[in-house]
Amino acid sequence: MAKVELRNVTKAWDKATAVKDMSLVIEDGEFVSLLGPSGCGKSTTLLMLAGIYLPTKGDILFDGAIINEVEARERNVSIVFQSYALYPNMTALQNIMFPLRFQPNSRGEELAREMADLVQVGELLERKPSELSGGQQQRVALARALVKSPNLLLLDEPLSNLDASLRLTMRAEIKRITRKFNLTTVLVTHDQLEATTMSDRVIVMNEGQIQQIGTPESLYAQPNTLFVGSFIGSPPLNLIKGTVQNGRLNKDNLFLQIHDADGEITLGIRPENLVVAETGIPGEVSHVEPMGREVLTTVHTAFGELWFLEAGVQPRWEMGNQIKLNCQPENTLVFDRTGIRIQGAIAKFDT
Amino acid sequence: MTPDQVEENRTIKWQKAAIRSRRRRHWKLAALTIFLSVVSIPILLAYLWMITIAFTAKTGGVETATLWIAASILTPTLIIYAVIHNIEDLPNKRRWGWGLIGVGFAIGVVLLWDEFHLGNFRFMINPNLVEDIRGVATAGGQFPWVWEAFFNSLFLASVQTVIVVTVSSFAGYYLSRFAFTGRSLFLQSLLVLQAFPAITLVIPIFLIVYWVGLVNTIYAPILVITALELPFFIFIMKGFFDAVPWDIEMSAMTDGASRRQAFRMVILPQVRVGLIAVGVFAFIKGWEEYVFVTGLTTGQSYTVMSTYLYYVSEDVMGVDYGIVAAVAVLYLLPALLLYLACQKYLTQMTLGGVKG
Repeated sequence: MAKVELRNVTKAWDKATAVKDMSLVIEDGEFVSLLGPSGCGKSTTLLMLAGIYLPTKGDILFDGAIINEVEARERNVSIVFQSYALYPNMTALQNIMFPLRFQPNSRGEELAREMADLVQVGELLERKPSELSGGQQQRVALARALVKSPNLLLLDEPLSNLDASLRLTMRAEIKRITRKFNLTTVLVTHDQLEATTMSDRVIVMNEGQIQQIGTPESLYAQPNTLFVGSFIGSPPLNLIKGTVQNGRLNKDNLFLQIHDADGEITLGIRPENLVVAETGIPGEVSHVEPMGREVLTTVHTAFGELWFLEAGVQPRWEMGNQIKLNCQPENTLVFDRTGIRIQGAIAKFDT
Repeated sequence: MTPDQVEENRTIKWQKAAIRSRRRRHWKLAALTIFLSVVSIPILLAYLWMITIAFTAKTGGVETATLWIAASILTPTLIIYAVIHNIEDLPNKRRWGWGLIGVGFAIGVVLLWDEFHLGNFRFMINPNLVEDIRGVATAGGQFPWVWEAFFNSLFLASVQTVIVVTVSSFAGYYLSRFAFTGRSLFLQSLLVLQAFPAITLVIPIFLIVYWVGLVNTIYAPILVITALELPFFIFIMKGFFDAVPWDIEMSAMTDGASRRQAFRMVILPQVRVGLIAVGVFAFIKGWEEYVFVTGLTTGQSYTVMSTYLYYVSEDVMGVDYGIVAAVAVLYLLPALLLYLACQKYLTQMTLGGVKG
């Protein structure tokens, strides 16, 4: 359990820079996620925290002390990898006890069995990893990570190899355990759902830089950039591109009123914020997807394909229906040409 | 045509197609097995000759009678086996095959029983084999006992194996895991070195060995063979290490292991198949070495199995093929046993094959 800090950390290889000037404070006992597309530098950050990579520039601090050059084995950090990285030549028990070989503990086996029970693999300890299912391997890997009471727990896409229902259980499980031990945890993922459901704070990264840090709710409702807005949320943000002239975004005979923004913009609207109304952008329903308790309807309009979510099991519309879409102005997001959100700018659907 | 007839025609058409396809598959397989059986006869005959002669030859001259008997059993057996293999719907095909081999073997034993004797193996208990047969004058009393050659070969092969396995695993690991200047050049040169026939190097190597002062010692071939074999084995080991995921190593290091501990406790157990394969091949290479043993000695300073076999077969007074074959059987045995013992691991080996 430690407070972890990154100060202007950069990691560059010969040809590419994986992480650029990254600064971040993770409080003791906090659960944060590094969220971003593959290749955005999140795994590099994780491996720097673990001590596998040395930062090119900047400092990494544990509890206020610079630990840049402290070797991985002395940091008391644990990683759970996507591949679980269990040692195939050892049984589950030997795997869990492996970290204790380096910090002798008289009640090592007892501790290992306790951890195994905690993650519910107490019955499987004599098996080799190849005789365990993916979910069981995952649990063993988690027990191995916990057994030495790490300062920092790092999770590298730990759930992406599990099937959907197992993922749900493991998500809750990991959250329960990290809370129980008050572990400082960093989760690396490209799955927004994983990040938003598990963490206290989400750090969205792109191209080696932090895009935005915030609670899952604030990232969803108030994205700072077009990247964050469109990366978070499923189905994704509706995007309308255009140029604002005299406060209007024109398309064919239609226009949207844009307040407090000028020039090239991108307008973003969450699918659940678009509603069918008497007035609004007219269009033809082109695609209907029942998604369980919601229906995703895609509408072909002058502003491009727009989709909206409606509660209900039965679709309300069918292909070819002519409908009008509207949105509350406060639910619109306006981004400038470079993708930065223009605070306070709104769009009105008064066509 | 009524709809029923159309339906019937269609069914017949499909059935015909199925029969045609089955027949085609069958003939292809039959042709292949028969071809392979026939071409394998000459190869098998060589081994057959060695074994039958070793246990039957008496006169010391060229005897072919037993060989013909053996061949006349082997060849039909093999052909019948190929045919049985191709009979469709034969139940217990495997049992038939083994039964046939058993029958062939039994016929062989019956026909050759009277010829069978172990006299050709007398060299194993008689230290003065050649004096015994030819008289002291011809041999000059310089012919060693076979066990001396046997243990020399064993020593040569074992020491060589230990060096090769150790160096190639360290070097392979380093090449697999570390980016250093000249790495790709090094890898390419490993392969290029394999392209040179070692025999072209005999003279310069002799000179070097001579200057170092190792001529006429068994350490000369050990070092030379090791050096010549290493590039290939390093390359093989690199492949095995490449297949071990980084994650596992990183995991070991965050779990508290040093790099060396991670290598020993986690990485090495996973390339076990590679170590065994490299070990077996290196051992056999050393066991059968001939060129650099004769090339780096002047006179008979020491004898290994290959040179022993050579002396036995090169006797000026005429060759005793029975003894040559018997020596060959003894020579073959350790390599064969090693293969059999490690077969389980060797068949698992695909280049860099670690099961995921």
